[in-house]
Amino acid sequence: MVAPPDNDVLWGRSLHHSHGGSPALTGVSLGIREGEILAVGGPRGSGKTTLLRCLSGQLVPDQGEVWFNSAPVHTMGALSRERLRRDRFGWIDPEPTLVPELNAWENAALPLLLRGIAHRTAKKAALEWLERLDIGACARRRPHALLTAQRQRVAIARALVTSPAVLFADEPTATLHRADRAQVLRTLTAAARSHAITTVLATHDAEVAALADRTVWLLDGRRVNAGGQGAPDAEGRAACSLSV
Amino acid sequence: MLALRLARGTHPLVLLRRLLVAAASAGVGFLLLCTLGHAVAHPGGSVLRLVWCAVPLAATVHFAVAVARTDPSTRPRPGLSAVGLGPGRLTAIAAASTAVACTLGSTVALLVYLHLRGDITGLPFDGAAAGLLAADRPLPLAAALTLLSVLPLTASAAAGLALRPRKEQPRPRPTGAERPPASVPAGLPWGITLITAGLAMETFASRGTPGSAIPMPGHPDSSPAGVLAGWVLTALGLAVAGPALTHLCGRLLQTARPGAARLLAGRVLMEEARRIGRPLGVVCAVASATIAAATLYGDEAGPHPFGPLTGLGAALVTGCSVATLLTAALESKHARGETTAALLRLGAPAKLLRASAALRAAALLALFGPVTWGIAELAALPLTG
Repeated sequence: MVAPPDNDVLWGRSLHHSHGGSPALTGVSLGIREGEILAVGGPRGSGKTTLLRCLSGQLVPDQGEVWFNSAPVHTMGALSRERLRRDRFGWIDPEPTLVPELNAWENAALPLLLRGIAHRTAKKAALEWLERLDIGACARRRPHALLTAQRQRVAIARALVTSPAVLFADEPTATLHRADRAQVLRTLTAAARSHAITTVLATHDAEVAALADRTVWLLDGRRVNAGGQGAPDAEGRAACSLSV
Repeated sequence: MLALRLARGTHPLVLLRRLLVAAASAGVGFLLLCTLGHAVAHPGGSVLRLVWCAVPLAATVHFAVAVARTDPSTRPRPGLSAVGLGPGRLTAIAAASTAVACTLGSTVALLVYLHLRGDITGLPFDGAAAGLLAADRPLPLAAALTLLSVLPLTASAAAGLALRPRKEQPRPRPTGAERPPASVPAGLPWGITLITAGLAMETFASRGTPGSAIPMPGHPDSSPAGVLAGWVLTALGLAVAGPALTHLCGRLLQTARPGAARLLAGRVLMEEARRIGRPLGVVCAVASATIAAATLYGDEAGPHPFGPLTGLGAALVTGCSVATLLTAALESKHARGETTAALLRLGAPAKLLRASAALRAAALLALFGPVTWGIAELAALPLTG
């Protein structure tokens, strides 16, 4: 095994993964540079989420290697991957999966509390992040009393509060309307740039991908060139010629 | 038929729960048939035994409803809803599968009863209890079938009622962050009132004449009607106060600058107070009744303080209430599955989630243990003194 080049903070090489036999990734390689915002684009089912989960250590790829800061993630045990995820990575789901029993600031402070940081310090950091994301006013409300866009911002604050080395955002704006979507994306990218947080952003939207420094397009679990959006049509036409 | 097909593909643990319902139903059926046997042998003196059968019957119905509530095959699913199997039909399926489990149990009870009477031959213990079960007289078939159909009918009606589609609660219920928090249970004043009223009634009644209106089978002279009514009130009070006590427990657990484990444990307990609290209150009532009965009858009445049928009834009540509590705990775990998955994605250690669950159990034990013991001691005090 050869360690990746130094300027890449996260590095995946020929990743293969299948979910119970159905292939999701078939040989994807990519490197993510320190501090950049990388968009992973592609239609539904193209393997974006699986790629992010492999890179963030939630899944171990069937074949291939994942390196983080010259440490092999694919050979780590479950416990060390869990620790890596808790201490170095942030994760944003397509839907804001907040803990319904905790209010907004407690949700945002949860990663700090999980690391064993004192209650008072965690509360202060969480409130600061909520202020920065313009939702300081609803810090004491429970998730059910918040709008979806507000909830998603709490989820972003929860991911950013630990100042992670790499932030994974899996279609963070999938459930939002366009106005909310633009605002949420702007806050996310602005926060990532100002704190120099490396960000991997999965999206099926070319507009969203335009906000990133670089875009990697996936199709059917493979990397395709920048014109990847045109490819599905050609395949789709072939499939439609079947008589049914 | 759909209920059977859905049942065939389910998880072994789900089938085990249904099997436990069937077993409990067999026990109740056997008790009812034994009462019938007693009635055939001693005409006119068996109403009391029939009334006592209501206690295990109620415990079994409670358990059957809890199992139907937890059953994954009766939960609204987008796939089934798309083919037109909405909440109403799913309720019907829940009632049908409860009826199937209970009928299976009743059939087993009938077979065992006939076998022990000696009507079905060719197996060991053939007619082993022929004298006790009045084998010399014919068994009235209609009466037996009526008694055996009581449990399946009651249980499936109760399951249907508990799972009926309600207007104010749209099913499928919102999950995850959209779920509104449960309101604070308000049963504590009522519960305390009922418990104190029950204890007072019992103390008052035990000073009266020892003449007994509703004796325990085998103990004709030791439990006046007032004492039993007091016990029933106390048990009811515990069941009413259970959710509020659980909520209080959760509130105490999460006060004063909690860390992650204490915060999660306390808040979850506050949220699940209704689901966990009611069966927990029932378990406490049963436990305190058991402790009180052991204090009262344990040291007297020689080597056989209880007959076999009383023992079977007590085992049914205890087993059903504990199984209901475990089922409710499982239901609450399933309801929180999505949140648990999100926590794990954040990198929350599984050890922390286990610690939080252990903390919840310890807090509940620390609050409910002394309450149960205290009520049992108070209930036994006037009768022993």
